Formats: sequence, structure tokens, C-alpha cells
Amino acid sequence: MNATVNLAKKSIGHLLPDRFRPVIDHESCKRCKRCVAECSFKAIDFIDDRVTSTGGCVACGRCAAFCPAGAIEIEVIQDQFPPHANFTERIRRGIMSQASTGGVLLSSCGTDVEHPVIFDELLLDAAQVTNPSIDPLREEIETITFLGRRSGKLTVSEKDSFAFVSEIGPVVAIDMPLMIGHISLGSVSYNAQKALFMAAKELNIIAGSGEGGLHPDFYVYADHINSEVASGRFGVTSDYLNKVATVEIKIGQGAKPGHGGHLPGEKVTDLISRTRMIPVGTDALSPYPHHDIYSIEDLQQLISVLKEATEYRVPIGVKIAATHNVAAVSSGIVRAGADFLTIDGFRGGTGSSPRIIRDHAGMPIEVAVAVVDKRLTEEELRNKVTLCAGGSIRSSADMIKCIALGADLVMVCTAALIAMGCHVCQQCHRGLCSWGIATQRPELTSRLDSDVAAARVTNLFSAWNEELKEVLGAMGIDSVESLVGNRDRLRYFGANPKVAEIMGVKHVGEGWG
Amino acid sequence: MVESHSAHEFNGVELSGVVEGDTVFIRADGRDSLGHPLDYHALNTVIRKAMMTKCKRIVLEGVLGQRYIGSASSRSDLKIDIHGTPGNNLGAFLDGSTIEVFGNAQDLTGNTMNSGKIVVHGNAWDVTGLAARGGEILIKGDSGYRVGIHMKEFGGMKPAIVIGGSAKDYLGEYMAGGTILVLRMGPDNGKSRIGHNIGAGMHGGSIFVKGQVLHHQLGRGAVFGDIVEDDIQRLEELIRDFEEAFKVGVPRDWSAFSKVCPNTYRPFSGHYDPTLI
Amino acid sequence: MSGLQGDPIFQSGMFRARSKRTIPQRPRSYLATRPPNLRYQMGGCGIAGLISINGDRISGEGITRMLTTMSERENGLGAGYACYGLFPDRRDEFCIQLLFDNEESKCLVEEFLKEHADVKKDERVFTKKVQSLAPPYPLVWRYFIKPADKREWRGNSNLSEEDYVVKLVMHINKNIDGAFCVSSGKDMAVFKGNGYSCEISEFYDIQRYSGQLWISHSRFPTNSPGWWGGAHPIGILDWAVCHNGEITSYGVNKKLVEMAGYDCTLLTDTEVIAYMWDLLVRKHELPIPAAAFAMAPWHHSDIARMDPESRLLANALRLTYKEAFLNGPFSIIVGRREPETTMIALADRKKLRPLIVGNSQDHKMVFSASEECAIRAIDTEAETWTPNAGSPMIAQVGKGVIRAGIEPPFLGVVR
Repeated sequence: MNATVNLAKKSIGHLLPDRFRPVIDHESCKRCKRCVAECSFKAIDFIDDRVTSTGGCVACGRCAAFCPAGAIEIEVIQDQFPPHANFTERIRRGIMSQASTGGVLLSSCGTDVEHPVIFDELLLDAAQVTNPSIDPLREEIETITFLGRRSGKLTVSEKDSFAFVSEIGPVVAIDMPLMIGHISLGSVSYNAQKALFMAAKELNIIAGSGEGGLHPDFYVYADHINSEVASGRFGVTSDYLNKVATVEIKIGQGAKPGHGGHLPGEKVTDLISRTRMIPVGTDALSPYPHHDIYSIEDLQQLISVLKEATEYRVPIGVKIAATHNVAAVSSGIVRAGADFLTIDGFRGGTGSSPRIIRDHAGMPIEVAVAVVDKRLTEEELRNKVTLCAGGSIRSSADMIKCIALGADLVMVCTAALIAMGCHVCQQCHRGLCSWGIATQRPELTSRLDSDVAAARVTNLFSAWNEELKEVLGAMGIDSVESLVGNRDRLRYFGANPKVAEIMGVKHVGEGWG
Repeated sequence: MVESHSAHEFNGVELSGVVEGDTVFIRADGRDSLGHPLDYHALNTVIRKAMMTKCKRIVLEGVLGQRYIGSASSRSDLKIDIHGTPGNNLGAFLDGSTIEVFGNAQDLTGNTMNSGKIVVHGNAWDVTGLAARGGEILIKGDSGYRVGIHMKEFGGMKPAIVIGGSAKDYLGEYMAGGTILVLRMGPDNGKSRIGHNIGAGMHGGSIFVKGQVLHHQLGRGAVFGDIVEDDIQRLEELIRDFEEAFKVGVPRDWSAFSKVCPNTYRPFSGHYDPTLI
Repeated sequence: MSGLQGDPIFQSGMFRARSKRTIPQRPRSYLATRPPNLRYQMGGCGIAGLISINGDRISGEGITRMLTTMSERENGLGAGYACYGLFPDRRDEFCIQLLFDNEESKCLVEEFLKEHADVKKDERVFTKKVQSLAPPYPLVWRYFIKPADKREWRGNSNLSEEDYVVKLVMHINKNIDGAFCVSSGKDMAVFKGNGYSCEISEFYDIQRYSGQLWISHSRFPTNSPGWWGGAHPIGILDWAVCHNGEITSYGVNKKLVEMAGYDCTLLTDTEVIAYMWDLLVRKHELPIPAAAFAMAPWHHSDIARMDPESRLLANALRLTYKEAFLNGPFSIIVGRREPETTMIALADRKKLRPLIVGNSQDHKMVFSASEECAIRAIDTEAETWTPNAGSPMIAQVGKGVIRAGIEPPFLGVVR
């Protein structure tokens, strides 16, 4: 047998044991077969007059949520391998899978590796005695946030009895320091994206269009849309640039620094093909770099051409992944003319990414936003640009801490999807999302009611904004801009004081000043 | 490292009083060699001694910033006249006596008062009548910010604040009972805007303002209400007291008044999520 | 003789009282050098100011009386007075007034000043021993200087005179140990230290000085040790700020002024406020009401109800200067000399700190203070009112009250 060159690439099957299993209580089961219909992963079937698990369960939770008898529990199947603290089950599964396929391990959502979460090691301040706290239920606490470039200096002329002369650049005002990040049409369904845009409009914030172009039906939401110019330039027409609220150049994404977008062929349906203008069924891979940006002056050129193309009426921003040199890169981007800058931390989500990049590359957003804020302040640039930060902002606590670390506003994606039904089962790249979110199959996408989903996302972020006000009030601050970069309102109580030092956050027990 | 505490004493301020009939006159306008006015503690000590007698009136002259005058005074047959500018917390925790100020008062007048009466022939500034539970505060001129915060009423105790001029922001915040009446009869004829955030968080009581109040001036949880018979009765009582105290006439033009009252007794239901997660 | 006089309480001896003011002995305080373990300074205080509208110079006795009337607001850990109109004969020279720990630091500063400026005159500032104020006392000295013709500092050339003097002062405070510059304006000086308002007044013999504008401050800090340099008024050039309250946005404001080149060496929010006024009004040339609006802006919901021109300016200010927003409770009295001697009184937009202003009946004097009794102490007939939250009262020599603090925010600013 010629077992030489091609042997390694031949798929040599080796079945990996399942990690999850739906457990059915057959006494309560009504045999309605609703679960079989709901499961999109073919993990459950009706065989011999019984609902049976058939393998391949991903714990998406759909069957359990829809069982009218509450007869299903999803079991996590533990200890399928002999215990080993170093060659963990996850590591062994990875090896075995790659031995079978010879491929780059692919996954989706944000990294699930147990790295320490710095947000959870930060505590907030409160005001007392020397300073009164403010009651947000009775006194107004302002959360309006501006996105766009600022001049740092206003000229109010003395001639003609103080006529006001200074020009203000294009600026967008949003009602809370939060925007929905870029989630492309393609990685999620039409109904899902529609829900996000509806929520953005209701909340008076902006939502990212993602790099999949903007479906013509969604132009009604244009003044709440942040359109994305990514390396694949999908759907970048003059309407896409001119009708929207803001435009953002995507250099990178926290989940996969250095990589471009990746939409597996399974999800490139007719709809996606039309919106992105590529053939049906192909893998929609965006190039890793923008092929017109190989250096910082090239970025300046792209920013300038976009400003010119939009006649200077739209703020132009840049999004980068948080990497080791993020402070210097940010400084360059601001000098290149960006009106707002988004930094995406390594825990950010994605519809599809190689595990090796998703789990091991990048920088936590907590540290990234702090060092960028510090560097821009040192270089006298901080008050000229709006800084946005994201990458696993999971709750209002994360949002508040991120703002205190240096962000003007945060960018949130995964939490919005969870509000719509996502259970973070990390199967988005397969296009089989049973909740109708990360899929293009019509029988699945029809399960997501945009109105209901939009209302849930609106509820979530409204509640976060109320919690923001509670914290601001407790700190004696009545407007969110007085928290931006106010690291003195945070204290670190984790295991590694060096982290606190780099972020410029004091250690728990240290006083003010 | 602290060295031994030896105190340096300076020439003290003489504080003397005269008794005439059933009135005690106290001069409080002395200054010490450093230029400080009479210490409030000394003044209040003497006032309390006078209160323990059967005197019906105490007259203070030359008051300049001394705080806590008449605090917790509980003799309802006692009247304290103050000439000058009393300091903060005048009549704090007042419980029965009457205090009359011939001049302006400062902040926190009638703080947490329980009963009694405070009359000011001038202005009283911020946080007047904080948490008042009963009694009456009558101010001829203007008042300041956060007047009548968290006033409460229960049983027969109905506190009231009447302001002849205007008041500023946060009037009647957190109000749980009682009455605030703002007559806007100041020299600018009601042009000065009464502040915003009126009745923020109120869940009881009523605020009456002469003249127009715009919707955006209302605080969260406060709404406009109609003036009813019971209101008019109470307003009549209060206006009579005001007229008597300041010898002025107040027109009874009820249609010119706006009434602010609570929207509900649970203004913040729907705000919280008690789910077990 | 009525029944009362027979009352045992009124037996002689019981109805005469003596109020004794005692000032306890305090531990040794720091002078020019900042205490090494000093953390952020906070606390409550009393402020007072008066300005003579017709330009008559008023002795320091009046301001002392105002401040000492409010003695409940201090605890002896700092007080100070700023006087404007002090040196009419040296009108164009910057008066750099300093505290020194010792002779060596004085020599270092003198050397530095001579190298970088033309020192026209130097003199010792009069001080006297105060019985209750424990020594050692700092050396207090003043230098009248004119900046050199070629004003270059660390690569920045052609600085304006004022920017140059700012650089010199920042250098002294940051780099020369044992020396602390308390004021650096023309025709004005700041007299301050660690003691009660009456002690500091006596130490400098404040009543020997006369000026058109006086502002003053007495402190009630919540941490010790006391520090002469940390007392208010705090300022730069001819700006002096007396501040009651605590800024919760300190970290944000500090970054803005540091970006503009000011070094924050005093670990207190008041310093940032002083630099903020210099930045916004002198360097960015914002009219005072616009600068005050940036520091104490209206709520967006109220801005939406403004007339279109005011709304445009208000939004522009809130957007451009959001880091200048002083969040938290404050009432401040600010003094300046250029181009006109001006007193500004401003309270935060929620009016969490007291502030009262007054105008004498003959309109010759305008006052500002934390409590009305301070104004009554020197003028029993003055008309008093409180400025609106976030709205400055501005009074100027020669013009009187040009803003009472109850007008719309941009009256006279927007066309």
C-alpha cells in the first residue's frame, strides 16, 4: 500500500464519546414528540414508542425548554476518561479529534477556557459621609454618551457679543454607554439581526451590522446602525456608508486576533449569497489583513477616503483586537484620524474561529482598555476620541468596571444573543442553531420571533442601564462621563498585584487619591 | 506622636441676661479677642437654663450664626424671639415651642421637628423642615433647595411649611405626608422659577404652588392633582396663620394654585426583578 | 420684682456665663514639603469672599471677621486668605510667594528663579509668632519677577509669559524639596497655613494688607497630619480657589489638566479645579459663564428645553469638555486679577453645598460665603440671595454684580 503523502489527510474515524445526553423521565413524558421536532442536531428520536437519545447532544437546551411535561434534563456526562490533571479530558479529546481529521480545530462563541476573569477581581467604590450618594429613583442620573471625535477645545468668539463659532465634528448621541457589537447577517439569521436592530432603535443606541453587508430591509433602522467595513468589504456600497449612523473599519476581532471573518459554506444560503454578493455554498472567508492596509499610513488613507465618501457627516471608527501592543497601535489609530476606537478583548464571541486562536491569543479587555486609556492620556489624545471596549461584557457589573477602567462605552454581543435564547453551546459554526439564531435554515430561523427577541434584548439592556444608575448613585456621581477612566473608583483584590499595577488600579485597602 | 494637650484660653465672651416680667432677655452679640462670636454651646446652655424657669418668653439679641438654638425645645407655652441671624439647625427636633426670627435664618431650619412653630420674617435657606413630623414653619421670604424633604404625617400630626416667596429645586422630595404651600408673593411677583424635581419620590402629602408649574418640573412619582374641599380647608388654616404672623393679606384665588401629589404609594414597582437565579 | 426673679435659677452667678474659646495644642505639622504618607485630602470647610466694587482697598480685618464667624466649619487644620490689589506699584510683575522649610530650599529656589527670570525684588513676608500655633513656622518669602525675553522650557519655545510662569511654578513644587509656591499672580498673594482662621490671620497680620478682593477658606479635613501647603486658597497665576466639598470625578478631571501640562502635586481636588479655570478661561478663552457651565452643566433634559442657540452651545460644551465636569458636591469662590479683578461664586448643579451671596445696600461691596452669618458679621443690611445650582455669581471691580446667578446660563454669551 502506498501509505505516504495522502495518508495523514485521510479522515480516519475514531468516535469521541458524547459530552451531554438528554435524560427523559418516561413516566411524565407525554409522547408528544415535540422534543424530536425541536432538536436540530438529530440527538433525540422516537424509537420503539419511547423518546430516546441518539447521540450528538450539544446541550443547547431547546428540547428541555419546550417539553410540555418538563420531562427532560440535560445531563453532563462526566469522567469519560480516566482522571488526569494535566492531560485533561478537553486536551485528550482535541488530540483524538485532530488525529481523525488532520484539521484545525474549529469552534464558536467566546473562549471557554478557565482563564481568570479580572472583572471578578475588581470591587466598586461607594460614597459616604464625606460625600453624599445619590438616589437614582429620585434624582436624575445621566447616561447619555457621545460617539465621535472631539476637538478638545471650543472657541467662543468675543466678537459680535460672544457669537459661538466653533465647529463640532460628526457625533452620535446614544442613551446609554453601550452599543451592540458587530454580528453579521450570515453568522446569525435574518430574524436575529432584525431583532437586534429593533432593540437598538427602541433603546436609542447603535448596533453593529457585522461584515455581512446590510440587507435592504434593514435600512429602516439605518440611524441606529454602525456599519462595518471589514477586509472582505462585503456589501460596502455608498448607501451602506452614507445612510447609517456610524462606520467602523474592522481591523480585528477579539476572538481571533490576526484573523479575518469566517462564514462556513453551510451558512451561505441564497439570502446570504445575495447580501454578500458571493456564490451560494462557498466558505465566505475574509482576508486576514485589509489588503489596502499594510501600515499605519495606509489606515489613515482608508479612514480619510471613508470620511470623504461620507462627506464628513458620519463618524468613522476602527475596531482592533486587544493584543500585546494595543496601546501603541491605538495611539497610531487615533493619530490616523479615527473618530472612535473599539478594542475587543480575547474573550469576545464569534460565529466561527479556530480554537487555537480563540483560546490562546489576545489580551483581556480589562487590561487592554486601561493601558490604552493611560497611553492616550499621556499622549494628550484621550479627550479627542471616543473609546469603546468589549469582549465578554457579561453583566452590568462588567460594563461599569470597563467604563471605570477607561472606556467611554462598551460593546456587547453574546449577552444580547443569550437574551434571545442562545445557550452558548458553541455550535454556531455548524449552522444548526436550534434557537433560530446562528443558522440560515428556514425551518430553524422561523423559530425566532423578532418582536419577542427584540423586546427581550431591550429589557436586558434597560435593566443594565438601571443598574448602572444604581452604582453611579451609590458612588455619588450623577453622570456617567464622570466615571469614564476614573480608575480610582475601583479596587483590585485578586491574587496578582502586578495586574493592578499595570491597569493603574489601586489594591483593596488603599484610600483615595 | 502627640504631645501633652495643654489648651490655650482666650478672653471669654461675656454673656448676660436680664429678666423683665416673665421674659428673659439675652444679649448674644459679644466677640472674643480673636473676633469669634459667642460660642453656640454657651448660648444654648443659658437658654436651656432659662427654659427651666417659668418664663414665657426668651428674647435673644445680636444672634450671629449660633447653631441649634431652640433645639428639642418642648415647652409649648414658651416663645423664643431671635433678633439677628441664627445659625444652622434652628429649632431642630422642636417639640412644642414657638420660635420667631426677626431676620434671615440659615440651613436646616426645623430639622426633624415634631411639633411647635417657627416663624421667619425673612428667608430661610436650604433643607428647611427636613423630615418634619408635625408643627408649622412659616417663612415670609424665600427658601432654598431641598425644602421639606421626607415630611411625614400620622394620626393628628400634620406638618406644614408655608413659604411666602419661592423655593428652588427638590421641593418636597421623598414626601410621605404633610403640606407645603408656596405663595410666590416675593418682590419679583412670582417671576422667579420655582425649581425642578418637585416631589421626586413623593408617596404621601401635598404640595401647593401659586402660579403655573410645568410638567417637566415634576420629579419622578409626582403628578398634578385637583384641589378638593379638604385641601381648601387646610390651605385656609395655613394662610390664616401666615397672614397673622406677617400682617399681610393673601388672596384666596384657588384656581391660581397648582397641586402636586403622589402618583401612587408604590412608585417603584416594576423596577426590581426578584427571580431566584 | 416678679415671680421669675425670685427663681433660684436666676440667683446671681448662674445667669452670667463665659464662653471660653480654647485652641488645643496640636502635633507638629508639615510646612512646605508634602507629608510623605499623605493620602488624598478631603473634608468639609467654610469659605468667604468680599469684593470692593468702587475699587477702594479694604483691610483684611473684614475678611477675617467673615471667616471666623463660621468657626464651626473648621477644625484648625488649615486656613488661608488671598488678597488682590496688593501691589499696585508692581502691577506688571508676577509675585511668586513661597513657603520654605529651611534656608537651603530658599537658596535653591532663588538660584532657579534668577536663572529663568528677572527677579526685580524679593522680600520677607511679615509673620509673627502666634501663641497657640506651634512652631516651627515656614519661611515665607516673595519674589517679584518678570519672565525672561526668550521663554523656553524643555523644548517648548516661545511660551507666553503666563504659560512660562506656570512651568516655573510647577517645577518648583514638583522638583525642589522643601519649597512650596502658594501664589504666582500679578498684584496678588495668598497667605495660608495650618491653623485656625484666627491663628493664620494673626500669623500673617492679615489686617495690615488692603486689597479690592479677598477670598478665604477654613478647613475641616478628615485626615492629618496637617500641612501648610495643603490649605486653601489653592491656585496658579492669579487664580485662587476656595473650595468646600468633594469632587467624585477627581480622577477624570485630573487626567484632563495633566494632559494640558499641569502637574498635580497637592493630592487634592481643589488643585484640579484651579488648573481647570486656568485652562478653560485663560488658555481656551471661554467666557466665564461658559466655563462654569462646562464644570457644572445642565442636565440633557433641561438642555433640550433651551432656545436653539443656547442648546447648541450647551451641547458643544458638554461634548467637548465632558472631562471638565466637576461631579459631586461643591461650592467654590474663585478670584482672578486679569483682565479685571473678579470674584466668582459657584455651587454644583444639585446644590449639595451651601453658598450664599450678598450685595451691600449702596452696592459698594459684594459678598459670598458658606453661611449668611458671615455676611451679616460685616454688613447687617446687605441684600442676600443664593445663586442657582450650577449658575455662577460674577462680581467685578468697577462693574458690580454682572451675573447674579439666577439668569439663564448663556445670557450675554450667545447672540
